[in-house]
Amino acid sequence: MVDAHPSHEPVAPALVEVSGLSLPAAITHLPRPDPYLNVEDYEPEADAMALNMGPQHPSTHGVLRLKLFLDGEICFKAVPYVGYLHRGVEKLLENRTAIQSVPYVDKNDYVSPLTGELALVMAYEALLDVEPPPRAQVLRTILMELQRIASHHLWLGTFCLDMGGALGGGSSVFLYNFRERELILDLLEALTGQRMHYNALMVGGNRHDVPPGWEEKVLATMDRVEDRLAEYEAMTVDNHIFRSRTVGVGVLDPLLALEAGAGGANLRASGVDHDLRRDAPYAAYGQVDVRIPVETAGDCYARFLVRIAEMREAIRIVRLLVSGIPEGPIGALKPPRHVNAVKLPPGEVYVGIESPRGELGTYLISDGSPIPVRVKIRPPSLHAVSLLPYLCVGATVSDIVVILGSLDPILGEVDR
Amino acid sequence: MPDDVLALFRTRLGLEEVPPEGPFVPPETLPDIVAALKEMGFLLFLYCAATHWPATENRPEAFTVAYGLRRPGPGSSTARLRVRIPADGSIPTLSGLFAGADWQEREQYDLVGIHFEGHPDLRRLMLPEDWEGHPLRKDYAIDTHHFPWR
Repeated sequence: MVDAHPSHEPVAPALVEVSGLSLPAAITHLPRPDPYLNVEDYEPEADAMALNMGPQHPSTHGVLRLKLFLDGEICFKAVPYVGYLHRGVEKLLENRTAIQSVPYVDKNDYVSPLTGELALVMAYEALLDVEPPPRAQVLRTILMELQRIASHHLWLGTFCLDMGGALGGGSSVFLYNFRERELILDLLEALTGQRMHYNALMVGGNRHDVPPGWEEKVLATMDRVEDRLAEYEAMTVDNHIFRSRTVGVGVLDPLLALEAGAGGANLRASGVDHDLRRDAPYAAYGQVDVRIPVETAGDCYARFLVRIAEMREAIRIVRLLVSGIPEGPIGALKPPRHVNAVKLPPGEVYVGIESPRGELGTYLISDGSPIPVRVKIRPPSLHAVSLLPYLCVGATVSDIVVILGSLDPILGEVDR
Repeated sequence: MPDDVLALFRTRLGLEEVPPEGPFVPPETLPDIVAALKEMGFLLFLYCAATHWPATENRPEAFTVAYGLRRPGPGSSTARLRVRIPADGSIPTLSGLFAGADWQEREQYDLVGIHFEGHPDLRRLMLPEDWEGHPLRKDYAIDTHHFPWR
C-alpha cells in the first residue's frame, strides 16, 4: 500500500490570506534560501564540491547548465546558466513585419508552438483592434487544447524518463506517451501540413480551414487518448517508486512562485487558483466553462497531478467545441498579398495567454511603421528555471533531476 | 487597468488621465509604487521590457523600461507602468520585491544595456560574459557577422 498523499486527504487544508489570496498555510511563507550565498562563507558538514550538470545532459531538457555546490550529496547553492540556445528572436522580430514574424515564434517553445503563435498574433490583433471571426476563435481554442495535451504528453514522458528504469522497464512511459502524442500531431498535420512548426495562425485569423472529416478524427483520437490516460496513472500514481521520488520533493511556496513569475501547473500545484483561460478569457474560452484543477501540496507529485487533470480537462474542452464549430470565414482580414500588407498603428500593448507552461505574453511597441519598435516575449519557462536556486537547496542531486523535470521548462523558450 | 490601480496612480503621481499602456513613473519612486501594488494583490511578476530610443532631431537618446504585474485569480487584472531614463541613467532594481525581476532585469541589462541599481547579481543572462555590445539597441546592426556588429 502506498503512502497517502496530502492532496488526497479528505480534510480541506488550512488556508492563509495574503493580499486577498487564499493560499495553503502549510507551504506558504516557507524559509527561502539565499540565491546569492557566497560559497566561501558556507561551512560544509561533509566534503564540499562544485558539480556541473549540463549543458549536455539528457535530463536538462535542452541545454541548461546547472552549477551545483554540494555538501556531501546535498546541494547548498545552485546557479543556472542559460542562453545556450539564444537566437536573438526579439531582435529578429524587431526587423520583421507582422506577417513575417509568426514562423519565428514557433521555434521558441518547440513543444507547444501554437501557443507561441497565438500570443504573438493576439498582440498584433490588439494593436490593430482586429477581432478574428467566431470560426477562427473556436478553431484556435481547439488547437490550443490539442497542443496542451501533446505538450503534457511530452512532459510526462520525459519526466518519467528522468527517473530512469525504476518506473517499470526503462523508457516505457516515455515511449507510450510519444505514441499518443503522435496521434495528436497527426491531427495537427492534417490541418496545417506540419508536424512541429505549424505557422497556422495569422493576424486576424487562421491560415488553414479544417479538412473534411477532421472533426470525427478528433473525437476518435480524444477517446483513445482518454483511455490511455488510465494506463499512465496505473504506471505512475500506483507506482511506489514514482511516489517516493516525487511526494514531498521540491515543495514550492505559492508566494515565491507568484513573485518569481511562475505559471501554469507550477502555480496551481501550490494552491494558487489562477488560469487565464478562465480569469481573462481569450479566443473562445469565454464560451466554455473551464474547470481549473488545483492542488495544495506544492511538490513534484502535485504538479504531476495538476497536469494529468489538465489533460482530462483539455479533452473535455476539445469534445465540447469540436462538434459545434461555427460556420463562416476563418480570417478577418483579406489574405495578404505582400509582407507589408498589415499596417500597424502607433501604440503599446501587452497580451498574455495560458500556455501549457504558464502565462506566455507578448509586449509590443509600434511607432506606426510596418515593423514594430520592440517585441518582448514573456516566457513562462524562464521564470520556472529561475526558481531552481530556491528549490534545489537542500535537495540531493537525484532529486534535482526530478525537480527540474517537474517544472517543465523548455529551453528554447527560456533562451529565445 | 482596474479602478484601484488608476486611483493609486492618480494620487501618487498627480495625474489626471492614466494611459492604458501605463503611466510614466519617476525612477526614484518606482520601488515604492511597485511595493504598493504588491500590497494590493499584484503578486505575479509579468515582465520588465526595456526599449532603446536612439537620438533624433527632436529628442536625445533615451530608454524606456516597462513593467507589468498581475493580480491572480478570478477576474484577473494587470497593472502596467513605465519609466523613462536618459542614455546614461540607471533605474532602481525590483529584485528585492519580486524574485522574478532578478532574471528579467539581468536579461534587459544583457540585451539592452540598462543598469539596474542595487541588483545583487547583475551579470549577462543570455550572452557570453565577454560579449561586447547590447544587441537590442537600435544602433546594433544585424547585417554584419563580426565585431563590432555595427
